[in-house]
This record gives sequence, structure tokens and C-alpha cells, in this order.
Amino acid sequence: MSVSAPRCLLWSNDEPVVLDDYVSEEPRWCTGCGDLAILAAVQRLCRDEQLAREKIVFVSGIGCSSRFPHYMNTYGFHGLHGRALPVAEGIRIKRPDLHVFVNTGDGDCCSIGAAHWIHAIRYNMNMTVLLHDNEIYGLTKKQVSPTSPKGLASNTTPRGAYLDSLNPMETTLGVANVSFAAQAVDWAPGLLYDIISKAYKHPGCSFVRVLQRCPEYLPEHFDHWMDDPDQLLLLTHEDGMQVTPDLARIYKQQEIHDPMDLNRAREIASMKDRIPVGILYRNEQVPCYEDVLNPAGLFTPEVVRTNIEAELDKFTVWPAS
Amino acid sequence: MNVSIKQLIRFHVTGENADEQQMDDRGLRPALLAPYRDLTSLRYDYPLILVQGEREETSVRSLSSIVDELLQETAPHGIEGERMRKHCFRLETRIRALATRQVQGSLAELWDIAALELVSESDEETAWSLTKELNHARQRVPANGTVVDCDEKVTSVLLEHLWRRTYRARSHDALKRLDQLSAQLSQILEADFQTTRAARTPESLKGSMGAGVDDTFDFVALSDMLEKGARNSSVTERRRQRISAALAALQAQPFFVPESEGQNESDDGAARDFVFSSCTDAWHAFEAHTPAKIELLKAIATAELEIDNRYDESEHDELLAGFSEASLTQEDLDFFPSYLICMHIEACQGSEKAKLIELLCSGLPMKVLVETDDILAEPSLCEGQFTFGARSQQLATMTIGLNNAFVLQTTSSCLYQTRDRIECGLTYEGPALFSVYAGSHTNITDLPRYLTAASATQSRAFPTFTYDPALGADQATRFDVDDNPQAQTDWPLQNLAYEDEDLQRVSQDITFTFVEFAACDTRYARFFATVANQGSEDVLVPCGEYVTSSEGENGNKVPFVLMVDAEDVLQTCIVDDKLIQAARRCREMWHSLQELGGIHNSHAMRLLELERNEWEQEKEREIEQLKLQADTAPIEPGDQPIVDQVSAPPQDAPAADPEPVPEEPPSSDEAYIETPRCTTCDECTDLNGKLFAYDENKQAYIADITAGSYRELVEAAEICQVAIIHPGKPLNQAEVGLSDLIERAEEFS
Repeated sequence: MSVSAPRCLLWSNDEPVVLDDYVSEEPRWCTGCGDLAILAAVQRLCRDEQLAREKIVFVSGIGCSSRFPHYMNTYGFHGLHGRALPVAEGIRIKRPDLHVFVNTGDGDCCSIGAAHWIHAIRYNMNMTVLLHDNEIYGLTKKQVSPTSPKGLASNTTPRGAYLDSLNPMETTLGVANVSFAAQAVDWAPGLLYDIISKAYKHPGCSFVRVLQRCPEYLPEHFDHWMDDPDQLLLLTHEDGMQVTPDLARIYKQQEIHDPMDLNRAREIASMKDRIPVGILYRNEQVPCYEDVLNPAGLFTPEVVRTNIEAELDKFTVWPAS
Repeated sequence: MNVSIKQLIRFHVTGENADEQQMDDRGLRPALLAPYRDLTSLRYDYPLILVQGEREETSVRSLSSIVDELLQETAPHGIEGERMRKHCFRLETRIRALATRQVQGSLAELWDIAALELVSESDEETAWSLTKELNHARQRVPANGTVVDCDEKVTSVLLEHLWRRTYRARSHDALKRLDQLSAQLSQILEADFQTTRAARTPESLKGSMGAGVDDTFDFVALSDMLEKGARNSSVTERRRQRISAALAALQAQPFFVPESEGQNESDDGAARDFVFSSCTDAWHAFEAHTPAKIELLKAIATAELEIDNRYDESEHDELLAGFSEASLTQEDLDFFPSYLICMHIEACQGSEKAKLIELLCSGLPMKVLVETDDILAEPSLCEGQFTFGARSQQLATMTIGLNNAFVLQTTSSCLYQTRDRIECGLTYEGPALFSVYAGSHTNITDLPRYLTAASATQSRAFPTFTYDPALGADQATRFDVDDNPQAQTDWPLQNLAYEDEDLQRVSQDITFTFVEFAACDTRYARFFATVANQGSEDVLVPCGEYVTSSEGENGNKVPFVLMVDAEDVLQTCIVDDKLIQAARRCREMWHSLQELGGIHNSHAMRLLELERNEWEQEKEREIEQLKLQADTAPIEPGDQPIVDQVSAPPQDAPAADPEPVPEEPPSSDEAYIETPRCTTCDECTDLNGKLFAYDENKQAYIADITAGSYRELVEAAEICQVAIIHPGKPLNQAEVGLSDLIERAEEFS
């Protein structure tokens, strides 16, 4: 495949970008926080894909994880609680040339922003959504979140959480038009990178739930899963994630899962005895909202003005001559 | 040998025998074609519907597939559904008959004509229900478009239809991109204008507020206020001119036109500039288009650089000035529409043929259809030597040798099955050749064109194959002969059932060879003679069998083919040896294609044979060696004989690619980190940022083992949440509390 001559001109004064070019400031997250692993994986992805910094934007809501845009030397929007997704959709509509990443926490996405989450999946606009799920509200110092397991003691539930937790993967896979759903854990960085990379390349709304540690408020919460690699179930497939021999030596529990099989994906998502890691569902045929919308032409200022005038003219009462 | 057998052999060898009846005036056809006298009553691929509308997934459909889908969607279960099916199938037959009679129109139009005919032929009661059912079905027909039958124009019409579809798709994408660039360039100029004094004059401000404000605002006062913040344009005059020139070039491009509602394919003005009937014309058009293409590409490059604010005059001015025809890449050419050339093989002679080869070599997006309708023409040099499509086949096989051109050889009877391949050729980024045998009407007894074309495929006289360089780098991936019937065999084997003289059913499998195909052509009737079977059964051999046997095996045998006359009475026709020679040549050519397609590949078989011999020799040696050992060792009861153990083939084939062996960790004496598993949690780097550091992936490794103590290594291992730090053994044996640290480090070794 040859390269377009105009593109050569574009590249002619471009310098290769290194990982540090995407680093803006030292993260303020606690030492040992799983957000750091996600940040490292995303910065590595940007470097490997040589993404132009002015062509990507990170959008977040409120929470520990939502500080993410501050640490990326790109465009960023640290928005309102639960409203990361609608902001991201707005950006996607107006700036289709930008790649949009969304960083949202289990409270931001699954609680206050749940309605937006459902419809963002349904609208399937081309963006990468990373759900940083530590199963606790960390920023406000340990309150129960929708994904906290039943019985988890917190400042708001000292006698343990009363309800069964919400499973974000089951929810996502139950929404119409879902096109990409994957799950990762922050303590398997190779897999995390691979999954985020595949999510980035997916044309549509790619939803990745990353289970992450909160060393401050739930320091031993994931130890049971972390200490025993057999607690992870790797989902492999020739069209999905493939594991290296080194990883296969560590994570022996594997299942060949076709990412197009939605029913099996739902079964896997509901597993309780193991954490499934990999791409549960991917369907590139699901249309993106921005493509379905497919306006006949561009909404230039002239077009918008003409349309508004035409609408207003319908209601104009002309004075009798 | 009796006299009559001698006569048969004489005819076979010399083609002369006054006693046998030559078949030119008998209207015979191969027996396997007997059931296909009336194609209109058969449900097969034709007529085709060239579907209109870009939203349709498939752009070509068969009438039968549309009717099937319609019935599946609308016909209810039970008696009512059965009635609807019956009516729709009758209508389908009638539409097929209309298409055969060359009645032109869309499916909807032919539907109406056919429905009217059926209703007018029915009695009053049936007519009412028929009208109701057909009207109900008519509203739910899943696709509409022009109906085309398998006639002399079908290939070019179909190809142009598919090409226009690719043109419109490309046009849509290109216009979207160009419009976006234009809008963004306009916004740069507009945004700059709004900051200038000119935009803040009372007149300009009033104009920007639109109609209906009249005296509500004092635009003079407003202008005075805004005047204070106005500044001179930040866009230099040179940049403004550059942007304006790029904008003008983007908007004036002649290659793509926006699609308008209800537009006919024939009205597609810009597309017409890319459709030709000769290679020379297409070449001239390409040359004429090139300067405009270069200007447009330069405008795109300028626009993209300007929009990203990356236009560097010191660098890009020179680069753009030097941008010429030589700078065009394949991707650049692929941005523009491809050129479609539809021509007949007769027009492809002399300079035109040279131009065709030049185009196919050039790598340019030229899509060439070369049609032929006579593949049995005898060359004038020598009577009885057949070319069987050599001219067009030669063109296709020769183009494969160019390596970078897509090639499809097929017949008009296979167009529906190969439509996806045609689309692949049209969207392929380089040149494409479509060599199509359109069937023949002249010199053919009473066979419809579809049957002639199908016979050419069946008999391997004009096999179907595809060569698609886009699929991969090797021949096995690119070349495909699987679209031919029973591609593994010399000729397809078909079942023929008939009634013998005693009115008993006889069923036999016979091949459809090149000889059967030639038998359809009246020019070769003199090479056949009908004979009576009685008394000559021992001498007569089916043609397929005769051709595949060696000449020595055939001895005093005479090949025959089974034909039927106009009353479907079976006839045995003996064949002149000239046709047998032609059939053998045809078979050899087919073998060459099979080899290219990986079927009975001689290289592979030779290698296999070599491997087998080597394996057998090796086993022989092992057996000899073991026999020698066995002579000196006692045999335990129940042991499998050694010879059997050795000569038994392996149970599992050896894996093609052995699993890569995972890297072994370093020895436990050495301190190390499993870097790929590091989660970047900062624990170790916070402890000692010189001892531990992050690599280019932001994952920790031991940067300098001497920059920290063994205690720090052990403590880092203890706080690492994913337990990937291994302290190893201490370097400094004089460190305080070493025995305790070594003990703590044990669990991480």
C-alpha cells in the first residue's frame, strides 16, 4: 500500500512522539492506585499509535478517576458529575476529527450518570469509554458505590452493603446497539494494554470496565483475585485477544470465546466465581449514531441560517398592506 | 472386423463416410441439455434485477431470489399462503418470459404487465382473487430495478451498473471530505474577518443580525463600541490567497457531483466521463484529467495543512510547487473514480490491443471488460484446428503474468454467482480485466445464449477463474478456480436418465466434455455422425472416457456422444478424431489452470513423492538397524514387533509452528523485576527512584542495583502489590541485618 502524496506533505515536518510527550503533570493519585496502571496503558497506546496530541480529547466526570484528563498532555474536559458521556457525545458530533476517550468511575457512570451510560451505549458513537471500577467512592473517603459487593462495610454502610451489586458488564451487554464490551484488571498490565488498544481501534462506542485497586480505602479488596492468577478467566479468540506464551504461563484459565457471540458474552459477564478478562462482545457492523444521522450536507453557518429562516417564516404574520 | 465397424473407424479417422448420416440438419443437441428446451419455466439465475438505491445491500439480484424473499415475508402458512405462492410463481414465469422476449422495463413495470396478462387470461372469479393477491404482493416486493435477461448486452450492462455503484460510493466519500475541508477553510477566513474593522461597520453588523430588527438596535453606536476591540487581520495576505485558491480548487473540481433525488443512472453526468468503449479513448481521458487531479490533490494537501495550522511556507511552498504527475501515488489515484472500458474482442486488435496491455501494465485504475461471443472459431490457417477461446483466454492468462492486475474470466451464465468477485475487481485499487464469454446465438442450433455460456463453463472450453492480487502475496491465495463445476475433475459428471427401447428407465453418469460443447455449434456438425447402436457396442466408447485414455488403450475404438433430436429421441453420434484432439488440448489447458489453482499441482505432488521416498528410505534404514539389534536381544512376550513400531506412521502430524518457549526467569541469585507485569503503581519508585525506574512503557525495572541497599530491594518486594520484585542475593555482604533480610527475601525468590 503506497502512501498518499498529500499525507507525505503533512508528515514532512512531524517528529515522532514519545510517551513522555503525553505526560502533563505528576498524578496526585495515591501510591498503588490502579488508576496509575490505566494511565500508563493509555499513554503507551497514544505513543504506539503516534496520536497527535491535538487530535485526542479525554473527557471525565467527577471522582478520583476523573482527574485523568489533568495528567494527559492533550485536550481534556473535566466535567460535571455523571455527565462525562453527554459532553463526549457533543464533542464527537462537532469535532469528528478528534478521537474521544471517556474516563469515568463506578459512581460517575453507574450511579449518577447511569442514564447517560445506557444511552451512550445505545447511540454507539465512536469513542473509547474506560470505566475505572474500584467498587468504592474513594474521593469522598469510602462510601458504598453501585458496584460494591453486598456486605461491604463502608462509611455509609457500616453494617455492610445491603444490596447485590450492579454488574456493569451485564448492564452494558443488555443495552440495544451495544457494539464493544470488554473487561480488564489493572494488575495485568499487558492484558489491560491489549484490551484498551482493541477498544481504541473499534469503530463505535467501546466500553471497557477496568477493575482497579483502591489501596487507601479497600487495600485488600482484590487480594483474593490478585494472589491467584487462576481466578482470572482469559477470553481468547483469533478475532479477539491473543495471549503471549509468558502470559499464558501465568494465567492458565482460558476460554476461546467468539466476540460475536452475544449470548455467551452475557453468560460470561454474569460469572461470579472468576473474573473474565478480555473482549466479551464486539460487533463492528452496529452503525454509529453519527453515521446513521448522515446529514446530506455539512451544517455550515449559511445552511443553518437558511434553515432557521425557513422555519421562522412559517410563523411570520405579514402585516396587511 | 465387420464392414460397418470399419466404416465407423473410417469416419472417426478421416471424417469421411457417405453411409453415416451427418447431423447438421437434424437439430441435435447434447443429451444432457435435453431438459432445458424452455428456460422460462425454470427457476434459475436469470433474469437479473439491477437494484436501484444505494441503501440496498446487494446491487444485483435474481428474480427468483426476490420472489422467494417476498413469499417468505408475506405468504402466510396454510391454504392462503399456498395460493399466494402459486400466483407469484406463475407471475415469475411470466416475467421471465417477458424478459426473454426483450420487453424492457423495471421489475415493477414488468410485474404490472405480467399481472395484467395473467388476469386477462383468468375467469372472473379467479381474476378477482389473483388481482388481490398480486396487488398485495406487489406492494411488498423487496427490491426494484431494471430487469435484464441473458442477452448480448447483459455483461456490459451489469458491469456498468456495478461500476456506477462504486463510483457513487467513492463520490459520496470524496464529496464529504471535500465539503468538510471547504467548510473548515471558509471558517478560517470567516473567523479572521470577524475580528477586523470591516466586520464591525454598522452595515456589516446590521447584515449579521438578519431581517426584522429595523430600528431596534443602534448599529452605529454598536459599531463605535466594537471598534475599540477591532484589530487588523491576523491572516497574512499570502495565506489568505493560498486558502482562497485551495477553496476555489476544492469547489470547482470536476470529478464528483452530488447525487440528486430520483436521479437515473444514465443521467449521472460526471460518471459518463469515465466510461469508454476503447482503451485509447480512456488513455486520452486519463491524460486530460491528470492536471486537474494534481491541482485538486494540492488543494487537499494545502487545506489539511492550513486547517491544522501546520503550513510552513519555507517548506511546503517548495514541496507543493514540485508536486507533479510523478508524485501521484496509488492511494492518490484511488481517490478518483476508476475508468471503465467495455469492448468486444473483435475491437481488441492491433494498436488497441497494445494499448490494452499498456493500461493493464500501468497500475492505473482501469477496469476493462473484454467480451467474446465466439470461442469455437476456426483459424483461417488450417481447417479443423480449433482455438476454443484462445484469444480471450490468452488475454486473461497473460494478464495474470503482469502480477498487479485483477483478472476475472467467466461466462455470462455465471455472472450472478460471480457478482461479488466483479465488485472486488471494480474496487481493486489497480487495473482489472474481466474476460467474459457472453454465449452465442449464431452458428448454434436452437440453444438460448444462457445455455451456450453455461455449456462453455461446464465443458472447460471457457473456465471461470479469478486472480486477485489484493488477497495476498502468493499464488495460492490469489488464484481461484473453485467457481467451476466439480473443479477437481477433468469434466463434470452429470446424471442422465432416459427410457430405453423397452421403455425401461436407464440412469447413467456421463461427462460433459468439450466435444459435447462443440456439438452445439452447427459449424462442426460435419465432425459428427449418427449411428445405430446395434452391433457396434464393443467398439463405441463414451467420449469422456476416450479422451482421458491413452491412444494405445483406445485401439480400434470409436468415441461417441449422446445427443437428442427435436423429439427428444436419444441418438448416438460418433466423433471425428479432430474434435478428440481439440478436446485433449482443452483438457491440458484446464489442467494448467487447475495447477495454478492448487489442484493436482505437479510441483506439490513431486515434492510429496520426494518426501515420501525419503521417509520410506529412512524407515528402511531404521528397520535394518533395529533388526540387527533385535538379533542380539531377547524378545519379551507381548511386545509389539519392532518393525511395526518403526514403520507405523506418526499418530499426529507434527505441528507447523512449534509453540514459542516462554522465557525462563533469571537465576534466583540475581535481583530482577517482571517488568511486563508492572502496574506502574509508584510504590518502588517512591521508595528509591534511582534503584527503580520506569522504562519506555512506564513499567518498572532495576535501573541501578548499586544505587540502593538490599534492604530497599526486600522492602520493595514486600510492598509490591503484584509481587513481581525478586531481590535475589545481596551484593554487599557487609550490609547490616543481612540474615534477617535474606530470610524475608526467601518468599520472593
